[in-house]
Amino acid sequence: MSTAVHLDEITKRFPGVVANDEVDLTVERGTVHALLGENGAGKTTLMNILYGLYEPTEGTVYIDDEPQDFDSPADAIDAGIGMIHQHFMLVDPMTVAENIVLGNEPRKWLGTTIDRKRARQEVIDLSNRYGFDVNPDDTIEDVSVGVQQRVEILKALYRGADILILDEPTAVLTPQEVEELFYVFEELTEQGKTIIFISHKLGEAMHAADDITVLRDGKNVGTVKTDETTSEELAELMVGREVLLDPKAEPQAPGDRILSVDGLHVDDNRGIPAVTDVSFDIREGEVFGIAGVDGNGQSQLVEAITGLRTPTDGTISYKGRNITRASRRSRIDDGMAYIPEDRHERGLVMDFDLVQNSILGSQHSPKFSSGGQIDWPGARDHTERIIDEYDVRPPHATADAESFSGGNQQKFIVGREFEREPDFVVATHPTRGVDIGAMEFIHERLLDLRRQGKAVLLVSSKLDEVQGLSDRLGVMHDGELMDIVDPRNTTEEEIGLLMAGERTPTNTSAESPVGDAQ
Amino acid sequence: MSTSTLSQLRETDLSYRATLVGGAVGVFVLIALLGLVFPESIWASLLGIVTSRSTLESALRLSVPITFAALGGIFAEKSGVINIGLEGLLIISAFTAVITTAVIGPGTVLLTIPIVDVSLTAIWIGFFAGILASVLFSAIFAVVCIRYKADQIIAGLAVWLIALGLAPFVATVYYGGVNTDNLGTSLGTWTIPYLSDLGFFGAFFDASPAVYMMLVAVPASWYVLNRTAFGRHIRASGENPKALDTVGVNVSRVRYAGVLLSGFLSGIGGAALSLGLGQFIGNNQTMVNGKGFIAIVAYLFGNYNPVGAFGASFLFAGLDAVQIRLQQVQGYTLPDSIIQTIPYIMVIVILAFVGRTYIPSAAGEHYDSGDDNR
Repeated sequence: MSTAVHLDEITKRFPGVVANDEVDLTVERGTVHALLGENGAGKTTLMNILYGLYEPTEGTVYIDDEPQDFDSPADAIDAGIGMIHQHFMLVDPMTVAENIVLGNEPRKWLGTTIDRKRARQEVIDLSNRYGFDVNPDDTIEDVSVGVQQRVEILKALYRGADILILDEPTAVLTPQEVEELFYVFEELTEQGKTIIFISHKLGEAMHAADDITVLRDGKNVGTVKTDETTSEELAELMVGREVLLDPKAEPQAPGDRILSVDGLHVDDNRGIPAVTDVSFDIREGEVFGIAGVDGNGQSQLVEAITGLRTPTDGTISYKGRNITRASRRSRIDDGMAYIPEDRHERGLVMDFDLVQNSILGSQHSPKFSSGGQIDWPGARDHTERIIDEYDVRPPHATADAESFSGGNQQKFIVGREFEREPDFVVATHPTRGVDIGAMEFIHERLLDLRRQGKAVLLVSSKLDEVQGLSDRLGVMHDGELMDIVDPRNTTEEEIGLLMAGERTPTNTSAESPVGDAQ
Repeated sequence: MSTSTLSQLRETDLSYRATLVGGAVGVFVLIALLGLVFPESIWASLLGIVTSRSTLESALRLSVPITFAALGGIFAEKSGVINIGLEGLLIISAFTAVITTAVIGPGTVLLTIPIVDVSLTAIWIGFFAGILASVLFSAIFAVVCIRYKADQIIAGLAVWLIALGLAPFVATVYYGGVNTDNLGTSLGTWTIPYLSDLGFFGAFFDASPAVYMMLVAVPASWYVLNRTAFGRHIRASGENPKALDTVGVNVSRVRYAGVLLSGFLSGIGGAALSLGLGQFIGNNQTMVNGKGFIAIVAYLFGNYNPVGAFGASFLFAGLDAVQIRLQQVQGYTLPDSIIQTIPYIMVIVILAFVGRTYIPSAAGEHYDSGDDNR
């Protein structure tokens, strides 16, 4: 086996920060190499150096044992490197084939016209060669995220890439698409391609990679063979201390009913029923989980409960009052906090700074305003507190929300919502995109709330998360609540079947005792 | 989720347009029926106007500036730069074309000597000077918007306002009034033998050279946008410039090309407008009188498709032609000023329908390739 990529003592300094500190990295040809680390560990910077986006302050990049000096990605592409960014670089209204050949269109008639037939054929050949299942004539906006990612990979291959870099490739994929992606990795490495992927998810790295390099604070803290290591060891390398990987809620008797949803029907934006006849109760001191594949009505259910969408039928009662049509503001004032699923759209105003963002939803509260004027110094203190307590990095209260990484934005939102001192928290994908250190922290805070007798509605597509944290677990499929189960006495397979819409008599139901209690 | 809504939007969009086109056909059929049933009524004269060759001739002539400006607008906006200054480009090219022709024409321009004979060569030199002026103006607009990242809407309005002030001002300096003198000649018509005798449709073969240029420019623009690599890069630059940048195409260069093309095409439209008449009229909103803005409506209604934009331009121009003829018809009591508003009412109706046009995602946004961070 030969060496495809060798990074020799790469250091990258930005003003005030050392993003990479003498990092060595060696990747063998034909292998899958995972670059593992928490947010801000310098993974993406390192890969941007390899891709020619940044020039290293010190150190040398070797491709096939040849020292390289990349001025721009064009040089890296020439050296056979392709990068698939976290946000896809695709033109939505164009077709798959048009996107793949963009910038390198085959021409005919003295170069005046695109040879569409040849472009299409080349895309088909390429896709067959690697066993990709893509239709060259589909429009990008009509295909799933998983297919879009494969188009990105094909784009790199079309340009002759031998070494593929993928930045957090699984962040946007469904579990099934992740499996397909890893299958694609196998196909590619079998044909001699080299893959480097960035991740902060241990399980994925263990599952898909041959070798794993862990970065922490810009330093390489170890390269290990996947079959010679354990998740615990990797987690410790990443965080620098021992980590509790499995959140477990200790048994606790729930209190009074705080929220009850009865026969709820909700339509989606297109007027198509998204939630049909859903009923459940949540009690104080309880975490009620909702599991399900994304897009099975969870979003609409949550929007109805938080007051962002009006249900077509059914009632929602909160603290004994019917709030089905109550305003969002009255719900916030009643102690309902909400960690939204889309932090860009609903969680933050991207071009506001953190101080302004910190009081969103509390702008009327006497805590931050008097006589119609906002108490900015107070808001600033409040922001500093959130930053400090929730470890938002970098700790710049007056920086625009946009300038923070996804994980840090999420930590900030979680902090803001928890600092409202809520009685009831609706948490949708609270740990999406955050690193394991922060994940552990957020889980711990959710369990804290439970200990204090608050209620939590937890919606997540991560099964281990909802299963580990919830007292009771509702499983949604196609807008229906299939069943409510006791997550401790139900296997992952049983929940998986419910998620797929199969109702089996063997499911252990955990019907809420609320109805009869008190 | 957003992707499905996008494609849905397009489907509903199509049906909106289909409804509108169907409605227009319905109105025409209704007029025709009424006209045939009541041969002495206003409907009959309306039918006569709509089906007359001279109406088609003037509709074609009137659609030239709108169509060219619309084609230009498509190239600019598809590349990601909203060029709201089309009106200004039409004004500046219309004026420059006439004054250049006057200056280089054999008769002297100045007030004392009347201009009687201006050679055809001078007219064509003026025509290209008009185009050049428009391209120069659009180049300034492009630099301000792309290099210096100015707000495209404000910069576009500035182009219009500057042109609106500059043209009548220079005319006043030269001629002592906002209008130029009449050149005494114009682009004239090119008549194609035999084909021009085809009755109603003969109008297509007995027209100003600018009309022929338009009939070539429309399919050519479609071809460039949809079949050439340059056209693809224009579209990608307006949809997702980053995607284009990462495959090694210079986004700024593509956008400059898009904006300069809009200047070139608008320049043809403006020069054809004034040289078709042989005079630049600078009263009020000048002789351009909102054609650049109607062009924006036209390409929106045509959903950025050059052929659709031409259809819309032709519809507006046709209504304008009918409106002009209607003013000459006796036998009804509607004041002319109301008749004159028909094309504009139509614009408003259409705008209400095109509220859902699919606009390029990155139109109006500056693109920063991130070079500065390196």
